[in-house]
Amino acid sequence: MTGLGLFGSLSMATRSLSTARAGTEVAGNNLANVNTPGYARQRVSIVTSGSVPSAFGPQGTGSMAVGITSIRDTLVDGQMLSELSVRGSLESQQQGLQYIQSATGERLDRTGADTSGASNGIAKDLSDLFDSFQKISSPNTNDPAARQTLVASAQDLATHLNQIVQRFDAVRSGIGNSIGADVTAANDIIDQVAKLNSEIVKVEVGGNGRANDLRDARQQKLEDLAKFANFSVTETPQGASNIAIDGLAIITGAVVTNRLEAFDAGGGQVLVRALGTATTLNIQGGSIHGRIESRDVALAKTRGEIDLLASNLISEVNAIHATGFGLTGTTGNDFFLGTGAGDIKVNPALKNNLQLIQANGVAGDVGNNTVVLKLAQLGDKPIVALGGERLGGYYAQAIASMGQDLKTINTQIGNQDIVQNMLESQRDSVMGVSIDEEMTDLMKFQKAFSASAKMVTTIDEMLDTILNMKR
Amino acid sequence: MRVTSNSFPTRLLDQITRLTNRTNQYQTQAATGQRITLPEDDPASMRRVMDMQGEGRKLTQYADNIGRHQELAQASYSSMSATKKIVDRAGEIATLAGGVNSPEQLKILSGEVDQLLARAVQFANVKNRNDYLFAGTKSDTVPFVAVKDAQGRTTSVSYQGNVDLAESEIAEQVTLSAQTVGANTTGTGNRGLFVDSQAGADLFGHLIALRDNLQSGNVAQIQSVDRVDIQKDEENLLFHYGSNGAAQARLETSLAVSKQRLESLNMLVSKETDVDLATTIVKLTETQNAYKAALQSGSTILHQSLLDYIR
Repeated sequence: MTGLGLFGSLSMATRSLSTARAGTEVAGNNLANVNTPGYARQRVSIVTSGSVPSAFGPQGTGSMAVGITSIRDTLVDGQMLSELSVRGSLESQQQGLQYIQSATGERLDRTGADTSGASNGIAKDLSDLFDSFQKISSPNTNDPAARQTLVASAQDLATHLNQIVQRFDAVRSGIGNSIGADVTAANDIIDQVAKLNSEIVKVEVGGNGRANDLRDARQQKLEDLAKFANFSVTETPQGASNIAIDGLAIITGAVVTNRLEAFDAGGGQVLVRALGTATTLNIQGGSIHGRIESRDVALAKTRGEIDLLASNLISEVNAIHATGFGLTGTTGNDFFLGTGAGDIKVNPALKNNLQLIQANGVAGDVGNNTVVLKLAQLGDKPIVALGGERLGGYYAQAIASMGQDLKTINTQIGNQDIVQNMLESQRDSVMGVSIDEEMTDLMKFQKAFSASAKMVTTIDEMLDTILNMKR
Repeated sequence: MRVTSNSFPTRLLDQITRLTNRTNQYQTQAATGQRITLPEDDPASMRRVMDMQGEGRKLTQYADNIGRHQELAQASYSSMSATKKIVDRAGEIATLAGGVNSPEQLKILSGEVDQLLARAVQFANVKNRNDYLFAGTKSDTVPFVAVKDAQGRTTSVSYQGNVDLAESEIAEQVTLSAQTVGANTTGTGNRGLFVDSQAGADLFGHLIALRDNLQSGNVAQIQSVDRVDIQKDEENLLFHYGSNGAAQARLETSLAVSKQRLESLNMLVSKETDVDLATTIVKLTETQNAYKAALQSGSTILHQSLLDYIR
């Protein structure tokens, strides 16, 4: 044997043309997907084709394209899933806390008439109530205008507390609805991942190479799912991604083994479980976790504090008020009715007849202000049930505590931004498409194609020369 | 690190978003002059500001209470001044009676004392904002009721009020009453303005006695008893003058302290909430410059690629 021969060389040039064409096609595909979310750049795998024996030893037969590989970093992909579920949770908690903050209506505005920046929140209403007691105690207990002001400010406070609870209830209900929407969206993604698993397995088991685009699409869907809930992923040898949430298999191969279901665990507490089961899933990440956290921790805490404030206000005011005497000599009446922030109201009997307000310490002594003075001083009294805080101080602490929770979440989201940006940069540096690189590749393969074509024409001319030797 | 085609737009977008947020934050601070608006901005400061707002409102209410007490103290002082004139005149008449020999002249003086008595009862029953000033805490009850004989002459004046005073706060846990009780015959507690057993004062009784002694020409009794009694009434009034003055001075001081505290509180609130405008404007300008630079450099980079150089 004496090497490839002209026809062998022609075959080599043809293979070379195919390889260069494959290279331009892959570069073109990369360029076309430069802005496709989740797309990982691809590279054509080129190897030298087998050698043939020749008088000079083994002789190369050119190159050939053996496959197209997707350039991904599975470690970064895994980390991204984890960080996305953390972010999903934090953002939902932030949203919940922002709703709570808005519901309280506490904000500073020093541009208004009140240069202390007081807003029309509970803090001001509490001050107004005790100021109204002061007005009656100083020292004209039978002044109808002062009594009217007292009833109005007490009713303002009660109404405001009622409204806050109503807003909290609306937030709670809204969170329940959002959990339901998240579950629906998550189930939809779960279906899509299972379908992609099926397609990937079909492609890869059939020996048609790696299903790069399908894998990209699946990673993208998994990242979408991570925003709703955290999960564990195990890749099977066939290429399917098995998904489990809280240890419960959700996707096994191409089959959705369990769907998620939002359910009311009682009292409007929407939780998540696998459809058809009774066990609540303990989801530890993603927006579903964040929403449950913001409702069952932050909202429940603030609402509990507002309720405790209201119940103590009711009991403390009533305890003092009951010892006093109205202008008509009545005694023992409650000032506030209700048990908490949701149902507190001023005793309608007092609203209808201001003389029934029991401000006097002695029946018939309309100038005796000892009881109303105690009520006025209640604002400064430390209350054991409130941890030794005054009513106003306890409320301010509840607001500050809620603010601190929100500030902490804001900081965590800021930190999460940094982590996620770093991960995205890292991932982009591995799998992102560079137009410059692809253009260079395009030029490289174009030149190779031209060179191979030139080889074909050269062999052709050589064959012509040989054929013309016979004339 | 390998930089790809999407690295620039992604980072540019991230930088622009961050700079926009910061610009918004500084702009809001510059427009409102406030460093904090919501609890999340600075929870600890928010708590302190809310406490200070509460304290400020309380101080304003204390100032209102002080104002009301001052009004009562001044109204009481007016009545005291008017009563003092009556006592002074009664004392003059008692002294004058010693030099008068004519029974007719004594009867004329008796008539004048009767008028003084009527005026004294009128001043003792004075009202402020519909409340009787000298009835103690029975402020809706006429404090002094005159009992008259068939000739319409006052024979006695009885006290319907009590000896209690309504105190209210002028500072935290500091209460005060600027009122005065009309009468106290118990010998303890708040001293009465017109009748007080501790001081031996009984203005109405003493005026009635003086009037009757003048009427009957009992000059000796006037000289030995009535003059001394009226002297006691005067001393009792002077005691109340002093108390009223002391209360008014205390109220003035408390009001001044409240105002000072309010000013200090405003400064403290300002310290907690207000921004340093110069710093904020400088930061805003810096951020705006960075924003412009990001846009400009971004647009320059994004416009360039290998495509511009290959044919």
